[in-house]
Amino acid sequence: MFSVTLRCLGRQVHQQNKSLAPLFTYSKNGLNTEATFDTKPFKLHKLEEGPATTVTLSRQDALKYYKDMQMIRRMETAAGNLYKEKIIRGFCHLYSGQEACCVGMRASMRSYDAVITAYRAHGWTYIMGVDAVGVLAELTGRSTGCARGKGGSMHMYVKNFYGGNGIVGAQQPLGAGIALALKYQGTDGVCLTLYGDGAANQGQLYEAMNMAQLWKLPVIFICENNGYGMGTSVDRASASTAYYTRGDYVPGIWVDGMDVLAVREATRFAIDHCATGKGPMVMEVVTYRYSGHSMSDPGTSYRSRDEIQEVRQTRDPITGFRERMLSTDLATADELKDIDQNVRQVIDDAVKRAKSDKEIGLDELTADIMSNPIDTRVRGVTAFDTLTHKRIGPAVNS
Amino acid sequence: MASITRFRACDHLLNLNIFRSSFKKNGMLNALWFHTTPRRLVVELKMPSLSPTMTSGTIVNWHKKEGDTVNPGDVLCEIQTDKAVMAFETEEEGTLAKIFIGNDSHDVQVGSLIALLAEPGEDWKNATCSDTPKVASEKPKNPPKPNCEVSSSEHQDKRNSKRAMTLGPAVRNLLERYGLSPIAILGSGPRGLLLKGDVLHHIQKENLKPVPISSAAEPKISSKAIVTEPQKSDLQKGTTKKIQNLTHEQEYQDLELSSMRRTIAKRLTASKTGIPHAYSTINCKVDTVMNLRQKFKNEGIKFSINDIIIKAVATALDLCPEANVIWQGDQLVQPTNVDISVAVATNSGLITPIVTDVLGRGVLEIGDMVRDLAERARGGKLQLHEFQGGSFTISNLGMYGVSEFSAIINPPQCAILAVGGSRLELGDDGKPAMVMSATLSYDGEAISPVAAATFMSTLQRLLESPQSLLLGHRSLPE
Repeated sequence: MFSVTLRCLGRQVHQQNKSLAPLFTYSKNGLNTEATFDTKPFKLHKLEEGPATTVTLSRQDALKYYKDMQMIRRMETAAGNLYKEKIIRGFCHLYSGQEACCVGMRASMRSYDAVITAYRAHGWTYIMGVDAVGVLAELTGRSTGCARGKGGSMHMYVKNFYGGNGIVGAQQPLGAGIALALKYQGTDGVCLTLYGDGAANQGQLYEAMNMAQLWKLPVIFICENNGYGMGTSVDRASASTAYYTRGDYVPGIWVDGMDVLAVREATRFAIDHCATGKGPMVMEVVTYRYSGHSMSDPGTSYRSRDEIQEVRQTRDPITGFRERMLSTDLATADELKDIDQNVRQVIDDAVKRAKSDKEIGLDELTADIMSNPIDTRVRGVTAFDTLTHKRIGPAVNS
Repeated sequence: MASITRFRACDHLLNLNIFRSSFKKNGMLNALWFHTTPRRLVVELKMPSLSPTMTSGTIVNWHKKEGDTVNPGDVLCEIQTDKAVMAFETEEEGTLAKIFIGNDSHDVQVGSLIALLAEPGEDWKNATCSDTPKVASEKPKNPPKPNCEVSSSEHQDKRNSKRAMTLGPAVRNLLERYGLSPIAILGSGPRGLLLKGDVLHHIQKENLKPVPISSAAEPKISSKAIVTEPQKSDLQKGTTKKIQNLTHEQEYQDLELSSMRRTIAKRLTASKTGIPHAYSTINCKVDTVMNLRQKFKNEGIKFSINDIIIKAVATALDLCPEANVIWQGDQLVQPTNVDISVAVATNSGLITPIVTDVLGRGVLEIGDMVRDLAERARGGKLQLHEFQGGSFTISNLGMYGVSEFSAIINPPQCAILAVGGSRLELGDDGKPAMVMSATLSYDGEAISPVAAATFMSTLQRLLESPQSLLLGHRSLPE
């Protein structure tokens, strides 16, 4: 853990907070170990009280969040560049701009909480424990990828992370099911089920919400509202754009998704709500994606470049967080620059490895198809060709 | 600030190990190192693939100049892909150090280096990169390759075929006179066009002499016109050897028209254009006739179906005299006898020897006569009176498997019957029957459609029940 040296007891340092003065500070060489911030107020639906709007952030946490967000940002940029070099093919949906969502939520999750999301999943894969090489090599289809290169962009799994789902809104009922499993197994684990503003109009979401409310399942339905469902803006897609109220009888919270601390706070509140058996919860996390829907979408045919630039300059999660850290002396600019450099180095190395690592051989054609193969025969090209099932590694989340 | 204290204060940082290892590796004292991790100085910007099918593109124009600050999300340049003009953005931060491929550069391959981006704070003027740019900013067009050898490149063939088609008359004349091939000479006109000056230059260079006329090859124009066709297939094969050979080979064969053929041709043309042909077809069930023939054959008496047909036709003509007419000048004449011409195919053409007085002869005699006449016809030993005359012709292609056809009338006759082969068909009563089709081509001026129809129905009746041949005039239905 972080070792606090109290060499400078009692030194007063000015805080440039949003409003409140700090409670106490331990300064080391002009750096604080803790700071307090105010977030935007949360909007509540069918809730008496919401998450706290005053949050405390420790230096260690701050650096961790910063590094994680930078890693995700650079990793997605690298994926985009690799795609433009035609080394990654197929689908590639980038998370640039939405980093605060996954970093903030993970910060409040316990180790046994589960997550299931849609196809914009690279950031989530990283934050749930797969390193950059695992993600990038999976995108380029190499054996060092987290699914041995067999899955690609929408098929990444790790413990307690259920992917990566290509069909729009398919993960919504699945998330409710995972929550049912967690409740059934007697843990107080919670399942975070993420979907987008486009998928918020899918029918199965409301079916899942109904069952979750009925049986008090510990599921948090989180709508990552980035303003556009592919190319359709929310105003043109939904009759009601207040996605946090769409659960009707399910309580909801509206969160500013560009503020990692607000997201953390809201998730903490929601997990607390669900884990104590009060039933499901809906969270709308308002965020923004800088790139297009996928790599085949330039992203500028349904919105202006000015809009993207404006969000980049005023609401970017990483720069916003950096300013907070610098203004409260949680870190120095050089420190952050070093983290940037380090992140860039790690990602560059990961890219190199993703380009140079080997793919799996043809002998893995029948490997790891079933997690519990009762019959190890696998049908070949015709009914008369039989191949044998191979086991390479244990199944994730089985 | 002192790097020593900073190092100690950063104990807890995650990149601790990297700090320590680089520190130890360099063997430097605390005070000497400036950076914690090895850093790249420049970012290489490569030509992106902005559409899934893009392999090369054009840089239309640069939005940033060398030395401009680049922020994440800024547009660097506009690239024309195979589909549209798209903007190339970057997520990097820094200064645009060098532009290798400038505005309006065509055919830049995906992946080639187009610019360098220096890190913020770096000296961008001295930015260097590891590999040199592969593509120059201005790509000169491919000059036309001189080929005195026949090359096998597709590009070459395309241009050659184009050239072969667009030679001027003076050029062609020269090529012909000197016996040259257009491929062997380098053209200096636009798009590799072969000019008169090029040919003259070539002639002068090689000290060529005009080819003597007798030994000249095929006229260059026709061979060229044909050469373009097979060249298309050569493009696929990728070889052009054939082009050279074709100019010296014959691509077609002349067929000499014998005088007999010419006569036939003249007569047929006159007949078809002069006589208003009308057609009438009838299907006859020939089971009875065939059984009859088989029965006689079992007893040792042989005759062919054709013989019976000849007999039946003659009887029908006797019963329907309106169909038995010939032209004598402008006059239509009805002969009392029925002489039937039988079409025989010989090597030199079709001949129709006449079987005279069919009505008075039996089938066996008719058969003998036909065989004799056919043999002599093939040998060319027919006498004039043996094939000139007759009032009606029968042409039988049944032995070739033809089911139905129509023939051209032989003037001065007015009708010709085309008999096809018998085929197994389902009859009206649901039972299978052998059916034979006969098509009558008749002169619409001389024979009325009713007369022709009556004749045909009579013929059908006679063939379907051959015992009617016995009956004579009184057998005609009212």
